[in-house]
Amino acid sequence: MRRMKAVVKREYLTRVRKRTFIISTLAMPLIILAVTGLPILLMSLKSEKPKEISIIDQTDKLFPGLKAALKDTTKGGLSLYRLSQVAVPLGELSTVRRKLTEEVNKGKLDGYLVVPSDVFGKNQVQFYARNVSNFRVNDDLERAVSQTVSHFRLSNSGLDPEKVKKLVKGVELQTFKVTAGGNEEEDSGATFMITYILVFFLYMSLLIYGMMVMRGVIEEKSSRVVEMIVSAIKPFQLMAGKVLGVGGVGLTQFLIWSLLVGGFSLYGRNLVSSFAGRLGPLSIPGIPISLLLYFILYFLLGYFLYATIYAGVGAMVNSEEEAQHLQMPLTMLLVIPFMLMFYVIGNPNSGLAVLLSFIPLFTPIIMFTRIAVQTPPLWQIGLSLVLLGLAIWVMVWIVSKIYRVGILMYGKRPSLPELVKWFRYG
Amino acid sequence: MELLSLRGVTKSFGRIDAVKELDLRVGGGSIYGLLGPNGAGKTTTIRMIMDILAPDRGEILILGQPNSSSIRDRVGYLPEERGLYRKMKVEPLLHFLAELKGMKREAARERIGYWLERFALSAWRAKKVEELSRGMQQKLQFIATLLHSPQLAILDEPFTGLDPVNINLVKEVMLEEKKKGVSIILSTHLMEQAEKLCDQICLISEGEKVLDGNLKEIKANYGKNSIVLEYEGQARFLSDKEMVESYDDYGRWVEVHPSAGVDPQEILRRAAQEVAILKFELVEPSLNEIFIKTVRKGER
Repeated sequence: MRRMKAVVKREYLTRVRKRTFIISTLAMPLIILAVTGLPILLMSLKSEKPKEISIIDQTDKLFPGLKAALKDTTKGGLSLYRLSQVAVPLGELSTVRRKLTEEVNKGKLDGYLVVPSDVFGKNQVQFYARNVSNFRVNDDLERAVSQTVSHFRLSNSGLDPEKVKKLVKGVELQTFKVTAGGNEEEDSGATFMITYILVFFLYMSLLIYGMMVMRGVIEEKSSRVVEMIVSAIKPFQLMAGKVLGVGGVGLTQFLIWSLLVGGFSLYGRNLVSSFAGRLGPLSIPGIPISLLLYFILYFLLGYFLYATIYAGVGAMVNSEEEAQHLQMPLTMLLVIPFMLMFYVIGNPNSGLAVLLSFIPLFTPIIMFTRIAVQTPPLWQIGLSLVLLGLAIWVMVWIVSKIYRVGILMYGKRPSLPELVKWFRYG
Repeated sequence: MELLSLRGVTKSFGRIDAVKELDLRVGGGSIYGLLGPNGAGKTTTIRMIMDILAPDRGEILILGQPNSSSIRDRVGYLPEERGLYRKMKVEPLLHFLAELKGMKREAARERIGYWLERFALSAWRAKKVEELSRGMQQKLQFIATLLHSPQLAILDEPFTGLDPVNINLVKEVMLEEKKKGVSIILSTHLMEQAEKLCDQICLISEGEKVLDGNLKEIKANYGKNSIVLEYEGQARFLSDKEMVESYDDYGRWVEVHPSAGVDPQEILRRAAQEVAILKFELVEPSLNEIFIKTVRKGER
């Protein structure tokens, strides 16, 4: 036991002390933060400068309404839009438009909106600008015009727009997630997001750490150090020590990330909302602790299963290039449940989803997805864990025999009958 | 008590018998040569002793007991396939290997200091293994073998890949350890080295023991019936089967084994007619010669 501890310690320390580990562990949250935060930051930066927009109102009735509808301001108190009405003498529309187009090109104007006199019949207005890909601006203009036009129509029909607005007000569908404990939590798409992110992390972690074990085995084999090690300890102890040590590296990384995310949600909320500004309340969804515990549980069990298989693959080959061919089907075993996740999120209790969650190779991803979306019956969680545990036990038994022979075999990659022979020797 | 004993040890890989019914007995405080050509089964035998391979049949006892982790702690092993963790630094690597052998950290630190000094590697203790030359890496592995002060050291081809200076250093260390009471099993196919170092030998060929015992006694049994001849000229008499049973010719130096009943003086007279003789000496046969003869006899 003390000797296996030496292996665990070496596997763990050599990896967490590596510069690449430290950098990737710290960089990952930064990358995620950058990917999600940067667009918000950029958008809020852009909106600091008011947009200069001219309006040609050929109905001659809508401009005040539009101005009222677009009175949004930035956080700094500046108007988002500075609107100016351009009068068009009869028959001079093309001349005026040419002049405005020129101003847009010179940058004096951000754009101009043409509200034709037949807008009440055709329901169309035209917006000309150099940049028509700013969806915020497009949306704002469309909303403002629609609102103003419908107001006008209502008043014309002798109705009170404010009253009608109240009468036709839509009904909001509020969603609540019912959990096993009988609690009801308000949920607005957060479950999907959390599930997606966590399952993605689970999938990536199983892949990355499984391959880390495989690379370690190949390194020991190709550097020939392995014979020295197995003269001191049992091959099984070496394999188990490696799997445990690398698993510890994974847990360390999760721990650091959890702390960073925890710290971020405590202090970072203010930071985000400060520059998110008027974009509305930005919710950073909280992840229930129980879900995190399930994540760790299914990561560890899934990791034990896959890392064992990866260790076996490592023992069969002589180099990483050779391993690539064998890795392919193994990677597929992880990709398939990841792809099925989208189906399972939609139908967490369908017969197919339940069946898939009992297949040990799929259990970590599929069962975890089900738990994240809708807590399945406890017996199903229990059964999936028992089956997964059993699969790990069988896999360790098979692979340790192949491993024992494989680590001392150099030369050609074994065929299937040869593998069976190795298994018998072991 | 015997340090190591093998009884009826057999191992086959598929249809190939790597080791057949091998009996060995290694006493304490000596250098024991496990000799044989490449592919004779030396490494397989050693791997079975180290419990890396399981024998199909037979019994292996180290210090009177079957292999276990506490027994393995008292054995040092230098595998033929050399290799270390290339990315690790020298000192942490040695600490790791010491820990695998159950050493306490403090004791290990002291021994590591001693051995790095002895092998002139102290200046490299904080360097990564991959920064060391091949010879240095090999010395490092030699240190790893002896680090935990084993009672029995098994060295599989320890001299391959070393320059003459380091061969000498390794030889010196082996003799020092022997003096301290460490028993050494030296597996090699280089007979010249074995002849100078070993007290006991065991010759194996194609997985079977063909000869074993005390080296001095073995050589004495063969008697001083070999001739060493230094000469210049064309030594045609060597191919005369009636006089010469076999010979080992290097062009200017030849070891001659007379046929049965042939007086060495006769060979001297015959040789004098054909070549200029610089030296003529009656000697015990070399281990190489004994080995070749014994193996040939086995083949007949």
